[in-house]
Amino acid sequence: MTFPPAAGPHGGTRPLTGVRVLELTTAVAGPIAGCVFADMGAEVIKIEGPRARTAAQSGTPPPVEGAPDHPYNRAPFWNELHRGKRHVSIDLAQPEGRALFLRLVAHSDVVLENFSPRVLGGLGIDYPDLKAVKPDIILTSMPAFGKTGPYALRGSYGPGIDAMSGLSHLTGYPDRGPGKPAQFYLDQSAGLTAALTTVAALRHRNRTGEGQYIELAMLEGELQLVAPALMDVKMNGRVQSRIGNRHAWHAPHGVYPCLGDDRWVAIAIESDGQWRALAAAIGHAALADDPRYATEPARHAAQHDLDPLIAAWTAERSHLDAMHELQLAGVPAGAVLDVAEVHADPQFEHRGTLVWVDHPELGRFPHTRTAWRSRRGHHGVAGPAPVFGEGTEYVVGTLAALTNAELADLEANGTVARAPLG
Amino acid sequence: MPDGALSGLRILDLTQGSFDYAGRLLAGLGADVIKVEPLTGDPVRGMPPFPGDTPHAETSARHLHLNAAKRSVVIDLESEDGRDALRRLVANSDALIESFAPGYLAARGIAYDDLAALKPDLVMASVTHFGQDGPYAGYQGAEIVDVALGGYLKLTGDADREPVKPYDDLTTEHAAVHAAAAVVIGLFHRDATGEGDWFDVAAIDAALFLLGGVAQIHHFDGAIPVRHGARLMFNNPRYPYPSTIRPCLGGFVHAHSNNRDAQLLAVLMPGLGLEELLDTPMGNADAIDEKMDEWLADKSKFEAVRRAQELRLPFTEVLTPEEILADPHLAARHFLVELPHPVAPPSAQPGAAAIMTGTPWRHERAPLLGEHTDEVLTTVLGLEAVEVAALRERGVIA
Repeated sequence: MTFPPAAGPHGGTRPLTGVRVLELTTAVAGPIAGCVFADMGAEVIKIEGPRARTAAQSGTPPPVEGAPDHPYNRAPFWNELHRGKRHVSIDLAQPEGRALFLRLVAHSDVVLENFSPRVLGGLGIDYPDLKAVKPDIILTSMPAFGKTGPYALRGSYGPGIDAMSGLSHLTGYPDRGPGKPAQFYLDQSAGLTAALTTVAALRHRNRTGEGQYIELAMLEGELQLVAPALMDVKMNGRVQSRIGNRHAWHAPHGVYPCLGDDRWVAIAIESDGQWRALAAAIGHAALADDPRYATEPARHAAQHDLDPLIAAWTAERSHLDAMHELQLAGVPAGAVLDVAEVHADPQFEHRGTLVWVDHPELGRFPHTRTAWRSRRGHHGVAGPAPVFGEGTEYVVGTLAALTNAELADLEANGTVARAPLG
Repeated sequence: MPDGALSGLRILDLTQGSFDYAGRLLAGLGADVIKVEPLTGDPVRGMPPFPGDTPHAETSARHLHLNAAKRSVVIDLESEDGRDALRRLVANSDALIESFAPGYLAARGIAYDDLAALKPDLVMASVTHFGQDGPYAGYQGAEIVDVALGGYLKLTGDADREPVKPYDDLTTEHAAVHAAAAVVIGLFHRDATGEGDWFDVAAIDAALFLLGGVAQIHHFDGAIPVRHGARLMFNNPRYPYPSTIRPCLGGFVHAHSNNRDAQLLAVLMPGLGLEELLDTPMGNADAIDEKMDEWLADKSKFEAVRRAQELRLPFTEVLTPEEILADPHLAARHFLVELPHPVAPPSAQPGAAAIMTGTPWRHERAPLLGEHTDEVLTTVLGLEAVEVAALRERGVIA
């Protein structure tokens, strides 16, 4: 096989082995950035306040047999997002908590955070504070809109930023209101970009000894992807809007109904050759060279006429059969899979895109790795997420070098927690 | 100008179309990204929009954005001399990214294994729709095909309608970000160990990566989530709500609960009886929508968002591209940039994807087709001008 199984946590040196990341994150985007570091071998320590868990983590599966009943450890998505990380709960608002955190910074390479812009300053742990204890520290912040500007203090989660980037306006049906790409888009996109820029900054640090502060405004990362619509305004005075499943210039292009309830196949014709292949495959070879459809602009203008011909053919087949038949005929086509079908799909199975990891309280469940495999096995998922406070002894005792008595004091006064409060 | 984070690295970019975003990020971070284009140019040069809707190899908005800050070298990989020039470039580079269909490079003797024989510590990323091998490796992909297979398309749109594709090439570009990350991680590893690597990046994997939480909902509940407009798909009735888009006076707002305090929505919208609905917010989503619509009906998106944000409810305006260009926040941050270009008229294009305070983002215009062919062949490969002229004469380069 060209690409080997993943090199496990103990299967040799992974690319980011030896890098230590302190992750002060919430929601999705920040944890995604930390995932990339953990999966690639860095030691990622999630630091969470004792009251950080929200209602978003309520409603959890039952514990596996023999595991303690700690619902706060069983939020499935949280656990996917924190796979392979360590965990410690420190109340950074306490002076002792801040001091403990700064001791950890002194032994770390990266601090990753995605709180709203005033949080770090309010806690007295902004970039200058970190730099004072670790001159070459890299701090990566992922504010929604940036640390400056009129919206700096606005709150937003990922989908709210989609609204302001134009993505909502541009996604959906032409005859209905603005939409949203599936469950999330920006959180994963910004998380990967944050990991990319932070590893680049580590490379720079290794060469020069210089750390830095990275400000990744999630809105500005997403606007990169909306460039064609943004530039069209100034180029042509055109304000693009929703075009559904149509393509801006290729045709035919869309989803077509198949046998069964809510079953569809997506078809994208991007060349005259693919059009001829499609026409033949659906039993309309005579249309292949029909001047009404022979060129892309002609097909684009007339695609409403072609849709029923394509749909009549797809409607007699399962979505999977339609995909395979069309692909074998040279037509780009994809079955519109639901999540159960994705889990059973042979291409994902072949690639090992979903990785089943055994969590001590939730049992085995799937985690999605990053989108690559590597010749050296530098892919996959580092391991299960930590239970609450899992890394307390290691982080406070070994890394920060506090004594057992000092740790006991911090627990007694609520600076370090072994279970979430409230 | 201080160094970029990736200064001193030379990366050959053989990607095309929206996969070009990978090299754009690496160039922004300071790498010397050399785009190796076919005689006909990167197909992205032919993709709309164009100024005046007039196709021109130098003025496509996509090209101007996705190829900014790269150099352009035109080499015909269909000729042995062209492939030889590529091999010599590889020997003088750190990394290579490409997006050809699987097998294309192997058929020409320039696959990873061929190139690694010349440059053992080469870091290479191949980004394709389905990946390098497996049952679908020979299939043809496209954005809508990739999101279909990744489970992402089925969850976009309204329950009473067909699934609907997200805007443009979002997933292709997301795969490109994974490819860029893989290259930088691979180079970090090379610097530490001297080892090269080959990364096989697939857009269908990127689509699945974007699904966030859905695989777990299915695994634990046995549920098969369905598309639900702009709502989040967590089906627990106690899950926070709203997270959706609703109409208001003259537009739309994205409405979102403060995840910590469900009752804040009732403070923003008093007198509507929201209080009792907010004990199980997701379970009452339809009723909450009705109440919100009533409150929003006489308020513009800007007013609704201002009042919500004052209460720390994270509402935002659904903006159009035109409104974004005029947005005061982006203006204050000087986000949009004009990169003067010898052919394309002035345009506003997205600036830095991240502000790197120690290693500035590189803002440079996209290259003309073959603009740097002579420069690269003479300075990187050490060819004499007469040798370059001979290659050009034979149609190997342009």
